[in-house]
Amino acid sequence: MATKTNYKLTKKDFRQINRRNLFFNQLGWNYEKMQGSGYLFIIMPQLRKLYGDHTPELKKAMKAHNQFFNTNPFVNTIIQGVDLAIEENKGTDSLETVSGLKTGLMGPLAAIGDSIFASLIPAIMGAIAANMAVQGNPFGLVLWLIANLCVMYLRWIQLPLAYREGTNLVTKMQGKLNSLTDAATLLGVYVVGALVATLISVQVPFVANIGKVTVNLQNELDMIMPKLVPGVIVALIYWLLGRKKMTSTKAIFIVIIVAVICSALGILGKTA
Amino acid sequence: MHGDILFWQVLLLTLYSMYQIWDDLTIVSSLAQPVWAGLIAGAVMGDVTKGLIIGGSLQLTVLGVGTFGGSSKIDANSGTILATAFSISTGMNASTAVAAIGVPVASLMIETDILGRFTNTFFQHRIDRLIDEENYPAIERNYLYGIIPWILSRGLPVFLALQFGGNFVSSAVKILDTNLKWLSNGLATAGALLPAVGFAILLRYLPVRKHLAYLILGFTLTALFSTLYTNVQSLGTAMTKVSKGFSGSFNAVSMVAIALIGLTFAINEYKRDDEKQQLAEIRQQQKPVAQSTTTEEGEIYGDED
Repeated sequence: MATKTNYKLTKKDFRQINRRNLFFNQLGWNYEKMQGSGYLFIIMPQLRKLYGDHTPELKKAMKAHNQFFNTNPFVNTIIQGVDLAIEENKGTDSLETVSGLKTGLMGPLAAIGDSIFASLIPAIMGAIAANMAVQGNPFGLVLWLIANLCVMYLRWIQLPLAYREGTNLVTKMQGKLNSLTDAATLLGVYVVGALVATLISVQVPFVANIGKVTVNLQNELDMIMPKLVPGVIVALIYWLLGRKKMTSTKAIFIVIIVAVICSALGILGKTA
Repeated sequence: MHGDILFWQVLLLTLYSMYQIWDDLTIVSSLAQPVWAGLIAGAVMGDVTKGLIIGGSLQLTVLGVGTFGGSSKIDANSGTILATAFSISTGMNASTAVAAIGVPVASLMIETDILGRFTNTFFQHRIDRLIDEENYPAIERNYLYGIIPWILSRGLPVFLALQFGGNFVSSAVKILDTNLKWLSNGLATAGALLPAVGFAILLRYLPVRKHLAYLILGFTLTALFSTLYTNVQSLGTAMTKVSKGFSGSFNAVSMVAIALIGLTFAINEYKRDDEKQQLAEIRQQQKPVAQSTTTEEGEIYGDED
């Protein structure tokens, strides 16, 4: 039996894969195969064209693609692009290679995708949008929407690129992306520093009366360094998060409880 | 009626909570983020500003929280919807609502998220069987049924809480405002403090040690400027009261300007890094050439593997 398939992917196919990816990826997410059935769903029409309906080849391919799969949902079509380029040329014989490729690529791609699309962009855009929102200004939300529309465009064009370039794309991207990630994290760290100084509106309302002298503690602290209180609080929580068995949810509740106690004792208060 | 949320409002908010989880799984337009939840819930309830404040605060609280490898994250979006709706309907202070409603709801919703991901196994198991039966339309159908557990995991609890939680929240607000004033003040302080958690979580994910200098720079620069701007603002406001001829507008410190200063450092870092990598690449390419000329052959064969 000929190993080659008789079909070549067209622009229409890429559009169909992209549509399925953008609107339906991860709907089948479950604890057993995670994005596994989603991977199959996204390329299913193309598999049917490559192997033909009701053939043993198609059944074999569909089974191979309905296995455990999980990566960052912004970059997954890179793997699908590389995958289809190989299967189109070598048919079911390549399925073992393809499975190895899938498991080999999903880890590194998840690392790249998670750090850029799932952490950095939401953190920076979220900080900008929230910063404006707490002042009653919705403009930052629109900025975030625009930024994410740009990301959607990238997700749309990466598929044909991966199909043409194959695995080269991933190695080529790695260097540029490393520099970009490094620069972006620098900006991220800097912006967090700036946010700490503006968005944590707490102060020390404690006023001590020593004889005839009244000491306004917040004023004294401001003399040392303005915004010292928010800075110290963030440092404390940072330390808390580094402790064993600490989760972000637990930390949030600890902070709420400590804040209520400190407020009742008059140590901490909300700035007007 | 005070404390009541109208049925059409409940319905719209429930629909939005169902939409947002679909958005978050697929297109990721940012409409599933707490700030948007605040805007939308605020618009439905008739107080956009309050919604933005609550959504913004919860957004900052979860700034560094992301989902990795399929773990459930604290659902600040649903938390924002309920906190905004109840805060507006009962007249609860925005900061108090963030700490008293937003955060507890957000962390309770982790459980329904897990339940949703778990029940989805049911539909996805059918696919294994359908592949053997070669029933292609049914495979696609069952895959898409996966949206049902997802939207119910958000829509159902939000609907129930909005429909039946109103009385409970409004009586809680009454008690908080009268007998438990200290607690309500404390919760408001907690609400103001929560962004600190978000920033600390974010720093945990960022290479703080490597870029420590820039953390200090960003903090100090902004601390100084924001103090300066605030003082000038209050000076200006005081002056306009004293003298009618005095006019001028005083804005808060521009965060965009502060961020642009940071951007200059980031651009330099990118250029330095890129040059370093290019140098490393050139060095690697030159090495084999310098050693022997026969490696050219090896490279051609190497590509075939």
